[in-house]
Amino acid sequence: MRNLFKATTALGLAMCVTAPALAAGDEIREITIFTRPQAAQPSEFQFVQLIAQEWRRLGLEVNIEVMPWEQMADAVWYNRDDWDTTGWQMVGRPERSDPDELIFNLFHTSTAPTGYNFIGYQNPDYDAIVEAQRTETDIDARRDLIHQAQAILAADQPNLMLAHPQSTFAYDNTVWDPDSVVEQGGIGIRNTWTFINLEPLGDQRDVILNSTDNVQAINPLFISGGTDSWITELIWDRLLRIGPDGLPQPWAAESYEWIDDTTVEIVLRDGMNWHDGEPVTAEDVRFSYQAAMGDEAPMYSPFVGNIADIEIIDPSTLRFHLNDASAAFLTASLSKLNLIPQHIWEPILEDLATRDEENAEDYQEEIPIGSGPFRFSSWLTNEEVVLEANEDHWSAPNVDRWILRIVPNTEASLGMLRSGEINFLSDYPGDPNILIDVASEDGDLDVVSTTDMGFRYVAFNHRRPPFDDAAFRQALSMAINRDLIVGAAFRGYAVPSNSVISPALAFWHNDDVDEFETGPEVAAAILAEAGYEVVDGRLHYPDGVSETLGE
Amino acid sequence: MSGFKRFGSRIIQLIFVLWAVATILFLIFRLMPGSPLAAYIDPTFTEEQQRILMARFGLDRSLFEQYLIYLGNLLQGDLGESFFYRQPVGERVLMLLPNTLVLSLFSIIIAYMIGVIGGAYLAWKRGSFLEGATIPFVLTTRAMPEFWLGMVLLAVFSFSLGWFPAGGMRTAGSEYPSLLALYTSGDFWRHLFLPAVTLAIYFHGLPLLLMRSNMLDVMSEDFVTMARIKGLSNWTIVVRHAARNALLPVATSLAIAIGYQMQGSVVVETVFSWPGLGRELVRAVSASDYPLAQGAFLLIAVVVILMNLLADLLYGLLDPRISHA
Repeated sequence: MRNLFKATTALGLAMCVTAPALAAGDEIREITIFTRPQAAQPSEFQFVQLIAQEWRRLGLEVNIEVMPWEQMADAVWYNRDDWDTTGWQMVGRPERSDPDELIFNLFHTSTAPTGYNFIGYQNPDYDAIVEAQRTETDIDARRDLIHQAQAILAADQPNLMLAHPQSTFAYDNTVWDPDSVVEQGGIGIRNTWTFINLEPLGDQRDVILNSTDNVQAINPLFISGGTDSWITELIWDRLLRIGPDGLPQPWAAESYEWIDDTTVEIVLRDGMNWHDGEPVTAEDVRFSYQAAMGDEAPMYSPFVGNIADIEIIDPSTLRFHLNDASAAFLTASLSKLNLIPQHIWEPILEDLATRDEENAEDYQEEIPIGSGPFRFSSWLTNEEVVLEANEDHWSAPNVDRWILRIVPNTEASLGMLRSGEINFLSDYPGDPNILIDVASEDGDLDVVSTTDMGFRYVAFNHRRPPFDDAAFRQALSMAINRDLIVGAAFRGYAVPSNSVISPALAFWHNDDVDEFETGPEVAAAILAEAGYEVVDGRLHYPDGVSETLGE
Repeated sequence: MSGFKRFGSRIIQLIFVLWAVATILFLIFRLMPGSPLAAYIDPTFTEEQQRILMARFGLDRSLFEQYLIYLGNLLQGDLGESFFYRQPVGERVLMLLPNTLVLSLFSIIIAYMIGVIGGAYLAWKRGSFLEGATIPFVLTTRAMPEFWLGMVLLAVFSFSLGWFPAGGMRTAGSEYPSLLALYTSGDFWRHLFLPAVTLAIYFHGLPLLLMRSNMLDVMSEDFVTMARIKGLSNWTIVVRHAARNALLPVATSLAIAIGYQMQGSVVVETVFSWPGLGRELVRAVSASDYPLAQGAFLLIAVVVILMNLLADLLYGLLDPRISHA
C-alpha cells in the first residue's frame, strides 16, 4: 500500500517535471503535523484534523502523526531540526500575568538553541523590542513596547495561534457564599484568594476539592506539578502576590518602593510567625532568596539571577539591589519565591551541599513549615492532602480545613460534587457542557468559566523550509477560521486568539491584532503573491526554490 | 528428602524467573518512546539543568552500566528512587501495596464464594432453565471490560441512588490511628464495596465455570453412584462427596487468581480513585518514571510468582498423588 503510494507520488513528480508550461519551483514535500491522542487531548486532536483538512485544500500533502505527550515533547524539544509542525499549548500561571515570560522566552533568539523558542524564530527587530521592555520601568512606555511586539508577531505569524481556552470550575452554592468566591483574571475561581475568602453558609466548614493528578511534592524550593503549586501557595507566604487583577500587590511585604531603577525597598509586615511559632525575620527573608541563589534549588535560580545583593536596613526593612533594571522583577521574583524559615532550612541546605547528587528538590519535610494562611495537617499518598486554617495569620481564612482529594476519574468527580463528597470542583478536564448540564440538573451548583491566559496553537518549525518564509506561515494561518475551531474543537469554551498575550490580561493585550480575514481564498492569494504555485493540485515552491528535505 | 529437594529446585527456578522479569522490565521501559525529562519541560529549564537532572537520574551512563547498577541495587533490596516523586521506590510501593491487597483479597473471596456455591448448584441443576439462563450471563460478565462495569456500577449505585461514595478509600479528612483501624472501619467498607464488587463480578466466572465442570465430572464417578445407591441425601452427596473432590483444582486456581487480580486492579483503581499500586503503575508508565514503574511491576510479579509457587505446593498437599508423581 505504502509502496503503491510512493509509486504514484513518483509518477506524479515525473509528470510535473515533464510539464513545460509553468516555471514553478519544486513540489513541497509532504508535511507532518503532530498531535496528542484523542483520549488525552480531544481539543487538540480535533483542531489538528480540521487544520490539516484546510491545508490540504491549499495543495499540500499533510500527514497527521498521533503520539503521546512524552514522545511529542521528546521529538519537538530535543530534536529541533526534525519536525515540521505540531499542536502545542502554554498553560496559564499567576507569574505569567507579567507579559515578559511569554513575549521574551517564546521568541527571543537567545532561547532558540535549547530554551522555549523551540520553533527557532529569529527577528533582530523583535529581539530589540522585547529586550527594551525588560528594562522599561515606566508602565505605559512598557505597554507600548509590548503592543509593538504583538504587532510584529501578528505580521510574522511565527505560530498559528488558535484560542485561549476557558478554565471551568464549579462549587456548591449551598455550602459557599457565592459573593466570597474570587475570580482571578486569566486563572479562574480556583485560586489562593478564593480559598482565603470562602465564606461557609452552613455547618460544612471544610473546603473539599479535587485534583486529577497526584501530588508530587510539597516543597517550597521545588517547582513540581501544577497541583502542588495550589498547596505551596497556601502554606508559604511571598513578599508580593499576584492579585485578582493580574498585578502584583503587597503581601508579606507591607509595602514596596523603587528607590531607583535597580533598587527595591521592602517593608515587612509586623508580627508574622512561622507555623512552629518562631517569628518571621528580615534574615529569614534574605535567606529565602539566598537559598534560591545558591546551587541547591536550580528551578528557582532563574528568578533570582538578576539580584546582586540583599541588604537588611533594619529588622523590618530590606533592599534588593539588582544587576539590571527589570520591569518584571515584582512579578517574576518578589511574587514568585516562597519565604522559608532559616532555622529549618539552613541545616538542611548545609547538609545537602555536602552531597553531590541531591539538592533541595529531593528533600521532603515531614511537616512542611511556612508562614502562610494555611498550615500543613496531613498528606496521604495518592489519596488526599489536608491543610488547616492558620488562625494567627494576618489574613486568616474563613474555612476550617482545605482538603484536596485525588480523583483520577473525571466523571466520578462530577458525581462527588453532586453528592457533597467534594464541594469545590477545582480540576475539570472534561467537556464544560456536561458540567453545565449536571449543574442545571442539580440546581445547587455554580459553574464559572474564565478566559485563560494560556493558549493553544500550532507551532511551525522555522528551521525547516518552507516554514522559514513568513508569507507561507501567514497563508497557512489565514487559511484557518478561528471561530470554527473554537466551536468545533473547544465546544465554544474558548476565545479566538492571534496573540500570546491573552485578552484576559486586558492591560497588556493589543486589540489591534484581533481582527483579520481568514479563508481558503485569503490564504491562496497570499501564496500566489509570494510566488507559490499550484501545479496539478499540489503546491510548489516559488520559481527556483528546490525542496531540500524531501525523501 | 525428595520433597525438600523439589522445594529447593523450585526456589532456584523462582530466582531465575525473577531475574528474567527484572531484566525485561529494565529494557521495556527504556525502549518506550519518550524521555523522563518531558515532565520537566519549562521555559526556565536550561541545558545545564537538563544535564544535571540526567546525571541525577543516572541516565547519562551507558545502558549496560545502568543495568548493572540496577541489578546490584535490586540484590540489596533497593528499588531506586522515583524520578517523579524524588522518593525511594521501595517505600512508596510498599505503602500502596496493602491498599491493593485488601481490595484484591476481598473481591476474590466474594468471587470464590459465589463461584464455588453457584458452580456446584448449577452442576446439580444441570439441564434446568436456571442453568440455561445463568451460564450465558456468567460468560457475559467475563467479557465485560472492568472499567465499563465499574462506571455502570458507579452511575447506578453512587450517582443515581447515592448508596455508596464515588471514589477513594475513606471520607475526606477522616483520620485513623492505624492502617488496621482504617481497614476495620465502616467508612472504609462503604468505600471498598463498589470496587470490590466490580472485580468480583468480573472474576467470579472462572471459579464458577471451573467448579461446575469439575462437579459434572465428579458426579459421574462411581463413588457418587455408590453414594446414591446407599440412599444418602442429596445434600450429603453434593457437599460431602462431590463438592469436596471438585474443589481441589478450584482451590489451586485461587492462588493464581490472586496474581491475576492484581492486573484487574490497575483499571479498577483508576475508576474508583483507589490509592493502590495499579494506579501508581499507570502514572509511572505515562511519566516515564522508570524506577517506579519497574518497582511496581516487579512487586506485582513477585506476588504472582509466589502465588504460583503456593499453588504448586498446595496442590501437592491437598492431593498426595501429585507430589509423588
